[in-house]
Amino acid sequence: MRAPARTHATGAASTALRRTLESSRRPARVLAAFPSGVYLEVRSDLEPHVIAVVTGEATRLPNAMVVGDPIPRVSVGADASVGDGAIEIGSLSLRAHRWWDPAPPLGPVDPVRLAQALPVMTELCDRSPKRPGLEGNGAAGLLAEGCSEASLLRGIMAAEQLVGLGPGLTPSGDDMLAGLLVALRHLGTAAGVGRAVWLADWLAAAVTFDARGRTTPISATLLHCAARGEASGEVLAVLRGLAGRQSLESALHRLLQLGHTSGADLAWGLRIGLSSVLDLREGDRRDR
Amino acid sequence: MVQVRTGTYHDSVSLMRVSQALSGLPGVEAAMVAMATELNRGIAAELGFALPACGPADLLVALRADDGTAAARAAAELDRLLSGLAVRTAGRDAAGHPPRTVRAALREAAGTAGNGGTTANGGTAAGAAGEGDATLVLVSVPGPHAFAEALDAVEAGLPVMIFSDNVPVEQEVLLKRRAEETGALVMGPDCGTAVIGGAGLGFANVLRPGPVGIVAASGTGAQQVACLLDLAGVGVGHILGVGGRDLSAEVGGLSTLRALEAFDADPATELIVLISKPPAPEVARAVREAVEKLATPVVTAFLGPGEDDLTAAAESALRALGAEPPAWPSWPAVSPGEEPSGGEGGPGTGAAAPGEAPEAGIGSSRAAAGRRTLRGIYSGGTLCAEARLVAGTGEFTDYGDDGYTRGRAHPMIDPALRLEALAAVPSGDVVLLDVVLGHGADPDPAARLAPAVAAAVARGVSVVAALVGSEGDPQGLAAQAQALRAAGADVFASNARAARHAARLAGAR
Amino acid sequence: MTLPMLSGEPRVITAGTEVLGEALDAQAVPRVTVDWRPPLPGTAGDLARVLADPRRAAANARAVDRLTSARPQLAAVRPAHEVLDLPPGAFLHAGPPITWERASGPMRGALIGAMLLEGLAGDEEEAAARLAAGAVRLEPCHRHRTVGPMAGVVSRSMWMFEVRDAEHGGTAYCSLNEGLGKVLRYGAYGPEVIGRLRWMGEVLGPVLRAALELTGPLDLRALIAQALQMGDELHNRNRAATSLLVRELAPAMVEAAPRHAAEVLRFAGGNDHFFLNPGMAACKVSADAARDVPGSTLVVAMARNGTDFGVQVSGLGDRWFTGPAGVPDGLYLGAYGPADANPDIGDSTITETAGLGGFAMAAAPAIVRFVGGDVSDAVAATRSMYEITLAEHPAYQIPGLGFRGTPVGVDVTLVARTGLLPTVNTGIAGRVAGTGQVGAGLVSPPASAFTAALAALAEAVPAG
Repeated sequence: MRAPARTHATGAASTALRRTLESSRRPARVLAAFPSGVYLEVRSDLEPHVIAVVTGEATRLPNAMVVGDPIPRVSVGADASVGDGAIEIGSLSLRAHRWWDPAPPLGPVDPVRLAQALPVMTELCDRSPKRPGLEGNGAAGLLAEGCSEASLLRGIMAAEQLVGLGPGLTPSGDDMLAGLLVALRHLGTAAGVGRAVWLADWLAAAVTFDARGRTTPISATLLHCAARGEASGEVLAVLRGLAGRQSLESALHRLLQLGHTSGADLAWGLRIGLSSVLDLREGDRRDR
Repeated sequence: MVQVRTGTYHDSVSLMRVSQALSGLPGVEAAMVAMATELNRGIAAELGFALPACGPADLLVALRADDGTAAARAAAELDRLLSGLAVRTAGRDAAGHPPRTVRAALREAAGTAGNGGTTANGGTAAGAAGEGDATLVLVSVPGPHAFAEALDAVEAGLPVMIFSDNVPVEQEVLLKRRAEETGALVMGPDCGTAVIGGAGLGFANVLRPGPVGIVAASGTGAQQVACLLDLAGVGVGHILGVGGRDLSAEVGGLSTLRALEAFDADPATELIVLISKPPAPEVARAVREAVEKLATPVVTAFLGPGEDDLTAAAESALRALGAEPPAWPSWPAVSPGEEPSGGEGGPGTGAAAPGEAPEAGIGSSRAAAGRRTLRGIYSGGTLCAEARLVAGTGEFTDYGDDGYTRGRAHPMIDPALRLEALAAVPSGDVVLLDVVLGHGADPDPAARLAPAVAAAVARGVSVVAALVGSEGDPQGLAAQAQALRAAGADVFASNARAARHAARLAGAR
Repeated sequence: MTLPMLSGEPRVITAGTEVLGEALDAQAVPRVTVDWRPPLPGTAGDLARVLADPRRAAANARAVDRLTSARPQLAAVRPAHEVLDLPPGAFLHAGPPITWERASGPMRGALIGAMLLEGLAGDEEEAAARLAAGAVRLEPCHRHRTVGPMAGVVSRSMWMFEVRDAEHGGTAYCSLNEGLGKVLRYGAYGPEVIGRLRWMGEVLGPVLRAALELTGPLDLRALIAQALQMGDELHNRNRAATSLLVRELAPAMVEAAPRHAAEVLRFAGGNDHFFLNPGMAACKVSADAARDVPGSTLVVAMARNGTDFGVQVSGLGDRWFTGPAGVPDGLYLGAYGPADANPDIGDSTITETAGLGGFAMAAAPAIVRFVGGDVSDAVAATRSMYEITLAEHPAYQIPGLGFRGTPVGVDVTLVARTGLLPTVNTGIAGRVAGTGQVGAGLVSPPASAFTAALAALAEAVPAG
């Protein structure tokens, strides 16, 4: 019996995938399938070990290959492979004809501008009917306090409680942490607040250490991405909005629409990160 | 058979593909399917077709076949190909009302964005206000009509890349002046290469994103530098083409200055590389002054006598970013009888690089026989000019020049003219040619070049190829290099090094 | 300067070579494809010149803003000789200027009718002879701030709707609608036609005048906006607008003229096109507000006299640019067919000029049979007009298109670039004088009228 003919397609891949794609071919399986995307789990220690293959309409996750044409229907558990330059799902073979950066540098930002953006962001989030999944949760509060005081102990304690907390493919706790990590790293770098980046490094190490064992595979991969400052287009747009490079309101509006609570959880994490960067900057200044 | 079809329009490149397909059918002596512009009517007349009255809005079909069967087959194939084009155009837009001008397209996009959030699919991110807004317009309509479409973009304050050539210079100046008022950027006209956010427009390579921004009045020049940087592991964020005339006295570098400013304001751009043929003196002064005011460092490559070549510019850029330039990849020719080393080992960056070891291999023995003529057979204008300067000898032809592309596809897509030229090179001479990979280029250039190269080598011609491509290019850099070297060409990733090597083979240096 | 395209995801509009667009598809770059075609033959040079005119963008913005911000109000109904420069022995007619020699059947019939009405001739033969001898001065309605449907013949004793623009202060006029069937505007001049015209002068006009004096000016902008939402496109369908107008005027008519109110209401209410005429005057006063903006390429009048189709352009004063009037393509009444049809006639294309009629076809699903039979054809007709217009009307909206404003303000350069001609809804007059209406449908204006206007615009571009 002859194998079915291969269909070749091309798309735009996150540079986070470049290493996995260019290394030799490894087996993978379909973890989840939606009309707008397929998640593949690759048998590999390399992160991201979950790869999202999505159409242009879907959220552009930092571990995504975006394709122009509709994705053929596949069933969960189906065999796939990734490597030698291609992603293969069933008879479909995908190659990258474009690479995009899931963690573009924000460039220098005046901390005064960030300070002005915080109340705006807080008001927009508070006004939104989209609520975070862990509103009122103690660990979430602890995380915010720990971060703004640069208390590594309290921050890490809270973060460890939050990993995998909540229902769904990407639990609310993970989304919060991802937002926080990305904000600390990018806004800290942009505003020249070294302690925020330092905090991001430590939290990232703590959170990613055993993420694969504590949360869903896709969420673990997204935490690994966030640890490196890699985020979805919606999150990056909010960062640009905070930096005054685009409309914060429309960027935040788009982010809040994501998923059931995902967008609101990410936004909450970003807020905690932003406010920590501002608090830590005060600390940096006092130390000087 | 000569036919005129009214009410049908297809772009010239699509029709060239149809013509090519028909010409290749058995029994077809000549085939031309084109819009009946003055130029195309002239070509058809030269081919000996008697034309009825027709104008640029009509589709002209001219076919000559050996017999009725062949003609009928060609006519059937023509209908199939044309209906394919029609389906493709219609299938684009689900609503069935594709916009007819750039202005209408902008208006549609704005209209959709204004209605915001009406998308039924709640699970996705699309549909929110501003999401659908275009960020860039790409115009490639025939030159005499490009102004209107480009002006739509400029008046809306949107960057526009004008791929079209034959746009009058006064229209270029007007567009660029208007762009200063509206905040737009005019890339072109005759801008063949741009990369925006990793997306290649026109002839462009698949590059890793990164800290370098390239401003280029020369498309292939930008491709060379970007590919070398990419091979060195340094990413290029964007290539802003400005059109070959931008740095002329008439245009005054208007787009170059704007592009420099835009990169300077872009937080992700850490280094700017400016590539152009030597500008008009007063423009060079203005550009230099502007560069001095920027906060972002600029590496300038004004290709001319006494200036850095493109490879040197790429190396300067790497050093400016604190990276040591690598040994540029090269792939020495496989001598007849010798087994080509497998593709696994990758390019011979170190040991057997022909540039490093000119005395080795097939080149040296013939070089001893005395001076040989160096013939540059190029598809990229800037690459051709660079090679001529670097080699300092030889006869160079740029087959991408307007004189050769009238009524036919660019040599990066259709190698026919270069293949003819290669076949005509007398035994004993040295051929230097460029092979450009990436979006827009021939999907497998080595497939048609390699047999011609092998034939030339068999006649005693030495062939040197500058292979301009990145590791991410769809043609596969390594595979193309292997195919060319297996045919007997010495292959270099650096055009300047290829030129030096070719000059040495010719006995000039 | 910052360039937003340098951050964020590229989204591209492509116009031209399709392979370049396909390369973007392969990179999953979202894009919108322009279905570009070459401009109308012979216009490339003129287009480049006119588009390069530095005045154009601002001039068009100003002109179309005046067109769409006009607030037409029905102010009065008065006899023509009171308000128009119309001495005895002068008639107005629809469309660009025309002579008796070149006039078509229905135009000649209407002129004969006006001769009889004004007592300038005893019978048909005498009227025709006098007209042929040049005894009557013929001038276009448009020259006198007036529009007239079909033949559009206006003579001294006829009564006129007077519409004022509350925004810019202009005034425009249109005659009263006679109803359907054998009527003067379709070239009929039999005794019942003349009799009806006399009754309109003696009863209808004065009653309307008296009623309006009681109600005060009526806001036609609001009325038209409502009618669009009730299924009118205001050219071939005026049923909703007529009802709205009658509803506004009825109480005042009863109060002002109790003896004639029932008779007048029966006449107005029994004529679905009663509103066409005040609607046309509303469009005329709006379009006139956009006149005479130097450098503007906006069309301020489209009109036909049964022989020629003419346009006027804001930046070119009151010059006419004409081409041969086409024969409408449509549905015919009874046993009539295309052979009975006269070439296109009437000033009612002022509705399309102001963004109504064929341009608002998508608002009027009830009459889609005129445009090909399908609601989707109506939507397509309206959508294609966005291609050649400068704006979307802020008040005149189409419910079926998500309350998008109607396409308004035809730009000569866009017509030349796209080759798309204005979609015009129209009634069809019989070619033989006195026949009356034989059908209704769609008509395409001649491209040459627009290319001639473009050439004149190119000549008018200041040097340098």
